[in-house]
Amino acid sequence: MKGIVRSLTVLLMVALAFAMASCGGKEEVAVEEAGEVVLSFPTFWVGQDSKSGPLATLLETFNNENAGEIKVVLEPNPDTDGYRDKLNTQLSSGRAPDIFVFNPDPTTFQYYESDVLMDFTDDMTGAWRDSFVESYVLDSTKNGQLKSIPYEIGITPIWYNSDLMAQAGVSAFPETWDDFMDAAEKLKAAGIVPGSQMTGGSNAWTSMLWFSHIMGSLGGPDVWSKPLTDPIYVEGAEYLKMLYADGNTTRDAVGGDAGVSGGHYMAGDTATFINGPWYIGRIRGDAPEVHAATRLAAAPQIGEYSGHQIGFMLSNLAAGNTDDPRRRDAVVKFMKYMTEPDNVKMVSEQAGSLFAVKFELGADADPLQREFVRAASDASFAIGHFQSQVDVSVIQEFGQALAAMALDEATPEEFVQMLIDVQ
Amino acid sequence: MSIVASRTNTPARIVGQIAKWLVLGFFFAFTFLPLVWLLISSFKTNLELQMRPFALPETWQFINYVKAVSISGLPRLFLNSILVSSMSTALAMLVTSMAGFVFSRESFFFRQGLLNLILAGVLVPIIALMAPYFRLTNALGIYDSLWALVFTYTAINIPISTFLIYGFMKTLPAELEEAAIIDGTGFFGRYWRIILPLTKPGMVTAGTFVFLFSWNEFIYALLLTSRPAVRTLQLGIRFFNSQFFTDYTSMFAAIVLTMLPTIIIYVVLHEQIIKGMTSGALKG
Amino acid sequence: MAIKSRMNKFWILLFLAPILILFFAYFVYPLGFIFVTSTVEWNGVSTPKFVGLQHFVNNFQNKTFLLSVRNNFIWLFSNGILQIGMAALVALILARRPKFWRSLRTVYFLPNVISQVAIAMMWAALYNAEYGAINQFLVAVGLEQLTHNWLGEFGTALPAIIVQQIFYIGYFMIIILASVMTIPDSLYEAAEIDGANTIQQEWHITLPMTKDILVTAMTLAMAYGLRHFEATFLLTNGGPANRTSVLGILLYKRLSALKYGQASSISTTLVILGLIMIVVIRSTIGRRSSASDLTQ
Repeated sequence: MKGIVRSLTVLLMVALAFAMASCGGKEEVAVEEAGEVVLSFPTFWVGQDSKSGPLATLLETFNNENAGEIKVVLEPNPDTDGYRDKLNTQLSSGRAPDIFVFNPDPTTFQYYESDVLMDFTDDMTGAWRDSFVESYVLDSTKNGQLKSIPYEIGITPIWYNSDLMAQAGVSAFPETWDDFMDAAEKLKAAGIVPGSQMTGGSNAWTSMLWFSHIMGSLGGPDVWSKPLTDPIYVEGAEYLKMLYADGNTTRDAVGGDAGVSGGHYMAGDTATFINGPWYIGRIRGDAPEVHAATRLAAAPQIGEYSGHQIGFMLSNLAAGNTDDPRRRDAVVKFMKYMTEPDNVKMVSEQAGSLFAVKFELGADADPLQREFVRAASDASFAIGHFQSQVDVSVIQEFGQALAAMALDEATPEEFVQMLIDVQ
Repeated sequence: MSIVASRTNTPARIVGQIAKWLVLGFFFAFTFLPLVWLLISSFKTNLELQMRPFALPETWQFINYVKAVSISGLPRLFLNSILVSSMSTALAMLVTSMAGFVFSRESFFFRQGLLNLILAGVLVPIIALMAPYFRLTNALGIYDSLWALVFTYTAINIPISTFLIYGFMKTLPAELEEAAIIDGTGFFGRYWRIILPLTKPGMVTAGTFVFLFSWNEFIYALLLTSRPAVRTLQLGIRFFNSQFFTDYTSMFAAIVLTMLPTIIIYVVLHEQIIKGMTSGALKG
Repeated sequence: MAIKSRMNKFWILLFLAPILILFFAYFVYPLGFIFVTSTVEWNGVSTPKFVGLQHFVNNFQNKTFLLSVRNNFIWLFSNGILQIGMAALVALILARRPKFWRSLRTVYFLPNVISQVAIAMMWAALYNAEYGAINQFLVAVGLEQLTHNWLGEFGTALPAIIVQQIFYIGYFMIIILASVMTIPDSLYEAAEIDGANTIQQEWHITLPMTKDILVTAMTLAMAYGLRHFEATFLLTNGGPANRTSVLGILLYKRLSALKYGQASSISTTLVILGLIMIVVIRSTIGRRSSASDLTQ
């Protein structure tokens, strides 16, 4: 008995010593050689993320080039939910990180209203501005203020497995919805599930993207300007429901998350899927045959519009506001460095991602990545995904309402009503 | 208890025996099989895991373990978790045993009200505390240090710890100290030399709760730290998450690697723990 | 029996200081923060807008909120009664020290030591409609009509999560076991001589003597039921169609949507519900137990 008390005391002493040691180390990061500006950069582009390697390289080069003047230190936050929670908490306490990844949507754009973010409006001019695809800069500007820099973008065409299609006797990707339903029947007859869907995860990603495609076809480039109360949303819901009916998707789609949806496509269970270029590396590594057979297409036409794609800003770069001119200059310098076309090209080729900065893909880029670029440029018009248009609460409810509709517990009207009610 | 030997094997007893072993076996399966599954899954590819989660791996992917080992600082994270969990437990035991002693032995104004207030803390949902805890930690100047976690974990566990330790101390009769008081033992002596040693079972129980909480905690470990040098194991495990994909199989390999020392420590300590729980008790 | 000298008062204050400081900093201040924010609309960065009790009124008209409250009560009972019941059962069995009891005791506790994420993942895989072991097993024994999308169907989702949670009894089983093992053998020997069988012995000796710890465990388990979050978050995120939602999940969603006012109103509701729960426990079971103290 005395032994326990004694050993606990010893442990306490040891722990105290260690803790003190690590506590003292707090200075090690902030130690600035006279006048060095240290910028902390929390991000989830670390670990298994495809951009982690190129990002580390970029940082190292930048720090070397600016040794003694500027030092950018990465804060790894691989878990995106945790990252978002922490960022929200920090911003609500008025302490923004020096540089960070900013995922733009109507909810996060609220941060523009306060002074906590650095305002780049006056910096984004001339040559720097020209290096970007203008529409993204405009989309990142609210009330005349640009408080985040467009960086990684998403384009999410329909993916299909050409091998499976051929197996079922479908020669070309269906152009109209009716053709699409016919193709689905043929696929099912051949024992193939027509599409991957999911109602789970935090945003029902795959199905949310399908919904966006459908809405684009029904309402064209301005579809999102219609409020949720417009009947066009109910119409879209009806088509979305068809994707879940009659065995058109896997049985675990309701409640399934991205692992389920992507997993089925990679396993060759399903013939269609939707995701962005960041997934290329994943599929190339885990399912090379599917990677080789994957082609991209525009959604089948339902309404008056067709040939469109879904394109959106995935991750912007933002910075905490500061009064110190040296810090401000350092931040702007880093932003310009990150968005330099050559640097962006390097990341793109290694990671598969696409960016808001204009650049040319090199000769040995992944063929599927080229497909993405082609799909984007061939598109008749592009609209953002549903997630970029509505408050986070609506997206949180989307998967729930979709599950209800898929299980016949809610009609398409009720589905839309659930989304309206949560706003 | 050796009384069992004197019984004869009636049919009722046999049924009882069977039922007993069914129950034990059921819970054994429930608790042990996940560990086996975890181990096997850590040798699969992610696609295999998703599509055939209960088959044996086609090829044993030792690379998952290579990946798990090579993430920078897994040993350091493990050490940090041990430090933080131990310190939180020690501090919580100290603080709540002191308080429990006073609550159970002295009477003073507000005693009952204060006690109820502290115990009611067990109802507070911890996620709701992110914003206030972040501000508090920054105000105290301990952001991005192990101390931030230690104080937070200790504080969060005060209600449950007080609940258990005070509850235990109350059962220790006053007479125990009377002899000591007559001998002239002071306040601190009564606490340190008499009551505290006898409270070991209560402290062990409470300590287990605090330790496990601190060990498994993730949200505040992420929120209150920034440098990899002060991060804990749970964050290291999430290393295998990324924006559109989670590398579960490598994550499982990392979990298995850290599970082994954890289990060893736990098994070794557990004997001590149980000895602690049953010694100094009200036997006979 | 307290000697009320000034020396004593000094010691009392000294001994209470640490806990009071920590408690006030980490509970009273945050709760104040939460109560205050529950009366405003605030997104974290703009100026808060006072709305009084509007959030609370809205909550009680919100279908998902009411569903969540109902589910929390279900968890309260599942944890407090079912889980504790099973923990007590196993503790009683192990207290008699059958063969391997030490190893079993260790094994039963192991899941608490490993990551909850891993356990949740395994159960998600078990429950999967397409390739999960449960469905595969049912098909193999010819019961295909019983297969379900366990986590994705209205009727099965909540029970599925409950099953995943309540059989992990290690936590509470250990405390109850420790308490049972402090009961002297002599009592049992005497009862044995008197002809009492095992069940009678447990009923008349063990249960009364461990009543306090059982009530404690039950209260704690019920408090956990109210605070329930992680398992549901990992398995269904409140779905399908919010059928498995609990207040913790709702709270988290509001925080993620930068609706701090609504989030705080949910936290406040949780605390109030908890206080009601304690009062109820106090007035029903508490009276008969002398030492359990949330009940004085």
